[in-house]
Amino acid sequence: MIWLIASALLFSIGAYGALTRRTAILMFLSIELMLNAAALSLISFSKLSGSLDAQVVVLFIIAIAAAEVAVGLGLIVAIFRRRETTGVDELRQLRG
Amino acid sequence: MSVGFWEILALLLLVGTGLAVVRLQNAVHAALALIANFLVVAGVYVALEARFVAMIQIIVYAGAIVVLFLFVIMLLSAASANVGQDLLPRLSWVAGFGALGLASVLIFAVTRFQPPANAPALGGGLPQALGPLLYDPDKWLYALLAVGFLLLVATVAAVVLIEPERIVSATSHPAHPRQDPKPNPPTAEQKDERAVVKR
Repeated sequence: MIWLIASALLFSIGAYGALTRRTAILMFLSIELMLNAAALSLISFSKLSGSLDAQVVVLFIIAIAAAEVAVGLGLIVAIFRRRETTGVDELRQLRG
Repeated sequence: MSVGFWEILALLLLVGTGLAVVRLQNAVHAALALIANFLVVAGVYVALEARFVAMIQIIVYAGAIVVLFLFVIMLLSAASANVGQDLLPRLSWVAGFGALGLASVLIFAVTRFQPPANAPALGGGLPQALGPLLYDPDKWLYALLAVGFLLLVATVAAVVLIEPERIVSATSHPAHPRQDPKPNPPTAEQKDERAVVKR
């Protein structure tokens, strides 16, 4: 049960980071923290209820996080080449 | 589940490295704190009978993903967290309160969970126990194939994304005028070769 509380705390810390960070890379790091907290809660539910399916889901989460990081960092590099910044406050040309 | 010295230590380490990830002002330090966080999480996985997932966590998360982050931070020289000007300088406590509220709601939710009385053993979470589930057509086989295809698509997308010139020039963006590289005029040696071929 303590690991469920730990995962809730980690998820909230990651949400705080995603709200307060001002560069895209650091927001991305905070989102990785939140993903990891969700995986930790799945593993502790797996231990508590004795089901291995949650561990398989965590393997999928890790694989999808790898794909997400590849695409996300590619986007950040492409934006940096075009705009010379990764600050999310300055990337607002979509605002009406 | 008993709460002893190691559980408290791991909880403090998790929260401390997590706060370091979201508060440190140097992005390289934040990424290194994220590696520390992932290693502690891998240790917790071993304690929770998920040894294969713990190894994958160390190899893929701490080994590959965060190294990719460090690579991009150093490639772009974007280590400083203070870029531009803060548009809402006095409102970060709102995010703090939001995170506290989220934490209390989540803790309230997870402490309602009633585990079954006699949970079956997990077999240590070794590959021998996970493999039959992963490759069973009635369970996760098709999801596994879909994730493999997703990884392929993501790799191709990453390669396409970091080569913007070719894509943008197809739509003739004004900032990037179309660049048609003229083929180099054949050198004298190539002309000689063609002459030889003709003969």
